[in-house]
Amino acid sequence: MKITKFIAPLLLVFCAISVSAQDKQTLRKKFEKYGVVELSEFKTTVSGPDSAASAVVLFDTGVGYFEPNPSTESLNYIFERHIRYKIFSKAGYDYANLELRMLQYNGRKTELKIIDGATYNLDNGKIVISKLNKEAKFSEQEDKNYTLEKFALPNIKEGSIIEFKYKISSDFLFSIDPWYFQRKIPTLYSNFSIIIPSDYQYKEITGGYIELNRTEPNKNYLNTQGVQNNFPMHLEYVAKNVPALKSESYITTMEDHVSKVEYELSSYKIPGKMFYQVTSSWPLIAKELKDELRFGYFIRKTGNSKIVVKDLIKDEKNPDTVVKKILDHVKNNLMWNGNYNFFTSELSLKAVFDKKSGNSADVNLSLMILLKEAGIEVLPVLISTRSNGTHPGYPMLSKFNSLILQVKIGEKYVLLDATTKNSSPDIIAYEHLNHFGLKVNAEKEVGEWISLEPQNISKKTTSYVLSLGADHKLSGKLFITATNYHSLSTRNKYLSSNDENDFLKNYKSNKPGLQITNYKIENVNAPYQALNETMDVVIEDHMEEAGNVLYFNPLLFDKTEENPFKSEERNFPVDFAFPHEETYRISLDLPKEYEVEKMPKTEKFTLPEGAATFSFVAAQQDNKIAITSKITINRAVFTSEEYHYLKELFKSIVRKQAEQLIIKKI
Amino acid sequence: MKNILVILLLLVTYKSTNAQGAYDVARIQPDLLKNASVIIRMEDQNYEVKNPGSATLQYKTVITILNKNGEDASAIHEFYDKFSSIYNLKAILYDAKGIKIKEYRNADFKDRSAVSDGTIYDDSRIKYLEILNNTFPYTIEYSYSIDYSGIRSYPSWYPSSSWGYAIEKSEYTFKIPETMTFKYLKSKDLKTDSLKIKDKNQYKWSCQNIKAIEYEPLSVGLRNVLPWVMVAPNTFEFDESKGNIENWKNVGSWLYSLSSSSQLLPDAARAKVRSIIKNAATPKEKIKLLYNYLQSNTRYVGVQLGIGGYKPIAAEKVFSVNYGDCKALSNFMKAMLQEAGIKSDLVMIGNDMPSLNTKYASLNQANHMILCVPMEKDTTWLECTSQYVPAGFIGNGNSDKTVLLITDKGGKLAQTPTYSPANNFQKRVATVHLDAEGSAAITIETKYGNAQYEDNMGMLYMEPTEQRKRLINSLSIPNIQMESFSFTQPDKELPVLMEKISLKCTQLLTKGGDKLFLTLNMLNRQEGTITTIDNRKTFFAVDYSYQDDDEIIYTIPKGYKLEYVPADIILESEFGRYTAKAVVKDDKITYTRTKMMTNKKYPPEKYNEYVAFSKKIYQSDKQKTVLAKVE
Repeated sequence: MKITKFIAPLLLVFCAISVSAQDKQTLRKKFEKYGVVELSEFKTTVSGPDSAASAVVLFDTGVGYFEPNPSTESLNYIFERHIRYKIFSKAGYDYANLELRMLQYNGRKTELKIIDGATYNLDNGKIVISKLNKEAKFSEQEDKNYTLEKFALPNIKEGSIIEFKYKISSDFLFSIDPWYFQRKIPTLYSNFSIIIPSDYQYKEITGGYIELNRTEPNKNYLNTQGVQNNFPMHLEYVAKNVPALKSESYITTMEDHVSKVEYELSSYKIPGKMFYQVTSSWPLIAKELKDELRFGYFIRKTGNSKIVVKDLIKDEKNPDTVVKKILDHVKNNLMWNGNYNFFTSELSLKAVFDKKSGNSADVNLSLMILLKEAGIEVLPVLISTRSNGTHPGYPMLSKFNSLILQVKIGEKYVLLDATTKNSSPDIIAYEHLNHFGLKVNAEKEVGEWISLEPQNISKKTTSYVLSLGADHKLSGKLFITATNYHSLSTRNKYLSSNDENDFLKNYKSNKPGLQITNYKIENVNAPYQALNETMDVVIEDHMEEAGNVLYFNPLLFDKTEENPFKSEERNFPVDFAFPHEETYRISLDLPKEYEVEKMPKTEKFTLPEGAATFSFVAAQQDNKIAITSKITINRAVFTSEEYHYLKELFKSIVRKQAEQLIIKKI
Repeated sequence: MKNILVILLLLVTYKSTNAQGAYDVARIQPDLLKNASVIIRMEDQNYEVKNPGSATLQYKTVITILNKNGEDASAIHEFYDKFSSIYNLKAILYDAKGIKIKEYRNADFKDRSAVSDGTIYDDSRIKYLEILNNTFPYTIEYSYSIDYSGIRSYPSWYPSSSWGYAIEKSEYTFKIPETMTFKYLKSKDLKTDSLKIKDKNQYKWSCQNIKAIEYEPLSVGLRNVLPWVMVAPNTFEFDESKGNIENWKNVGSWLYSLSSSSQLLPDAARAKVRSIIKNAATPKEKIKLLYNYLQSNTRYVGVQLGIGGYKPIAAEKVFSVNYGDCKALSNFMKAMLQEAGIKSDLVMIGNDMPSLNTKYASLNQANHMILCVPMEKDTTWLECTSQYVPAGFIGNGNSDKTVLLITDKGGKLAQTPTYSPANNFQKRVATVHLDAEGSAAITIETKYGNAQYEDNMGMLYMEPTEQRKRLINSLSIPNIQMESFSFTQPDKELPVLMEKISLKCTQLLTKGGDKLFLTLNMLNRQEGTITTIDNRKTFFAVDYSYQDDDEIIYTIPKGYKLEYVPADIILESEFGRYTAKAVVKDDKITYTRTKMMTNKKYPPEKYNEYVAFSKKIYQSDKQKTVLAKVE
């Protein structure tokens, strides 16, 4: 039998649809029967660590599949869900309010097709049903792009069982919203199935530490039906008894640790037309960026940058100086508007400079154009910010959300980021410190992962040189030197204060008894250099008297008050973002009539492989005391296995830094 | 002719100054720059009442942002709803020299819904624009017009309401048809200019060269030092309802007319009420039973549209869905009480707002509704949106307020209960067994009452892991190993929270050779000190009156003796009273500390006395005892 080229694709379409329809039926069987609640479900309890949960998800079933959309001649992604909760306490009442966000963009939209909900209460052993009524459905036009569909269930009490069932149709096929197996309350059963037509290839990404049972249910069935690759991909995931997800400190984002599955389109075929590769390799992503108006085109549209650059660098030849001059120019003229993106919001350098502000791509790609014009070797580095989570590593563009630059000066590579006004080369914004970035050479169509770990440790040294007066006042000098991220933090504080007095007032606010005169700050506007502060200080109310002895804490205001690591265990790594070192020194002259009764002991603590250390050195000579406390965190990230060591280290720090120094009147 | 000349001259000067940059930062008087992060260069608020149901507003302001602290002032946001429309939105950004950098029009402004937290639906929306500029100082000029097609209140005028704002010039012009009356309230010493223009009366208030005020802690507000005006209608039309709010009596009548038909209960509800109270003997018991029913069967869901902002959803409706906002739930409770033969009144109240001004009736002095059950001796006040608090407890935000009872005879002003320091108590008994290594076994039992109960009641409903995390964070004890803890409300009828904690601390004492130092006040220290302020401007007060009584019984380790015990302390001032003492008997030290503070409003000149008192408490709380090894 001969099939003309014209007919064959059509047949394929029909075939795909019929399979899809058939599979939809099998998918639907996954749903618990809506509206049918068993008496036994009211007896559900949760034991173990989540026993005090405000509610529990009894089951959460979702199916995703594709349907032809007659008006766009493309497919729509259909998502159906049925979720049932049992509410234990009033804190769980919020689950009775459902909020769904619908996107409209460029004539395409997501649309809520069906919504049903009900509350079930036990009244004298009988189940009473209260349905979600029309008056409890609200539609709020949040802004240009989003509509919020809101629903409030009636008759909620402690012990109520509630359920929602809904169906959403979406024109957006590129990325499929994540299905979460885990949330703030425990989930007894979670099941997600998806059928992806053979013409569409999606990248599947799973995350989290919960065990998922992933199957391909219809594989055999497909094999008996002839040509396999014409048939859809059917995936199913099941998770049971999933504990509640609890947040910890020093993390990137909980999104990195929650159990979920999501998809991003990598290629598709339109029968009879052609095959489209969306993203499936770094070179392809680089090519896409090259052809993108808000990336490749933006970079190539140099405008008047030649004149600007010439004006800026004049005869300067030293590439270090050239880079700094251009970076300063961009930082002084463009303000980052708080938004991250790897696509610009404007179409040209000129438009960005006209607006004087922009997202991270506007600001950094503008910087790139000027650097290129000055002959500097520079490439953009795509980043997923800390709040956006760790990039899964697969060639997926949508998982990035920002960008910075890397320049080559001589033989060394340096990172540049103009989003933070007081930053310097190799000091990128904290949010960008997410360990890895993708360096993209759009013109050559290649991408390469690079490390974003700061090369230099950020240091801060606080040195007091004091003498004790007869009135029990400590007076002398204070020197503070800070580099990299430590200096950035002080610079930001100083430069955002009304004036120096305002800054000092804030500085003193948590240092009772401290008086400052003669304050000097050096290099506050030279972010490329260490920040130095010097001042004369008098400290009152610090010495405590007990009989004929005086005692005090030599750490003054720099004591680590509490162990930041309080939980006994930790499921995630500890992420400090950058390695750092804090040194504290005090040298103290005692009056002649005093002698040291007790000095703290010198001690040192080191983590395996020297990943972190704490040293406390105390020395005394005649009436002079010198104490140095130094905390060094040599790595940005510690695994959950290393957590225990860190916790112990900080425990020692808290104990040691709390030790008192005792002096006695002779 | 003369007039024309003047106008021409004015135009010429205006034009020429504009060319040089009228908003050049260099033109700001130096004394206005002191302590300022924002300068209001000019503000012109022009409000014209057309008739009881409509009005227009023309607004223009020019703001210079001097530094990063003032950046918030560069965001422009204006609210509107179904009864108002904003148009002619325009903004201009100028550099430090007053030279125009960029212009923004209507289309540059973004539009989004402005539904507040806790409300599921209302129709308020916002138009906003964020102007960003990386070089300080810079100046923003913006202007807009609003048409109102429904009136509840007239705009107030607070030319500066924040710390660090200085004003060059600000003006409020208010126009109203001569046939209409209105009322206003203003700051002391502010002049009112009024004149008649055709068939309208025009009022004008203005201020010039107001210096910025630096942040002052514990401040009760800037109203006693800065100019302000509040203006309110006597009659209005809103969402097809006509109101007369000339005085509080009329406000009450209007609100009563909106709610009086909403209290009918269906037969099932009436039967329910009867069955709930069938065994109750006294009205007090009935109130309690019905309030408990309300708490366990309803929840707060806010839906407010148009007149729905004042008119409660019918009780019948609340009975069928068991949710509603403060008005709906209070009204439902009122309907249930009515069925039980108990009369009650809805109450208009400003939660966490100042009391209603008895001589000035307006709707914008309130934001909440509760219920009052008048009794001969013992009037009960019910906060109907809380699912937790005992009947009769209305919380700190509702207490000690002048409020309006909405009765069938119109509005009646009344006073909500005041909680004294002794009401807002914290009573604690702790035992601490120390060992020679410096570690300790500790038990703590604390009761919190009223406002302190309210502050801590969240703990009752938290998951244990969260309770634990918060406890460890809030206890000022280092190196905690938590053994057990519980939060209970021993008597459901009383606003008292009981906290019991048992823990081990691996390093409580600080070592210094063979001596051990023990800070006697281990649990409730006043942290940090405040500093004196020369020439303070604003009144101050603490959040609420309270009394803390702490008792800690230490057992000292074997082999140690007490080398030093601090002397007793009694501190007394008009702000409060503090005592601390340590009594030693055998191997036990009993430390007792009492601290009572009143939340009276104190004049600014008393602040430094308050600081001195506070500093003494801080020092007293740091007192240590010294233990020494027995040789």
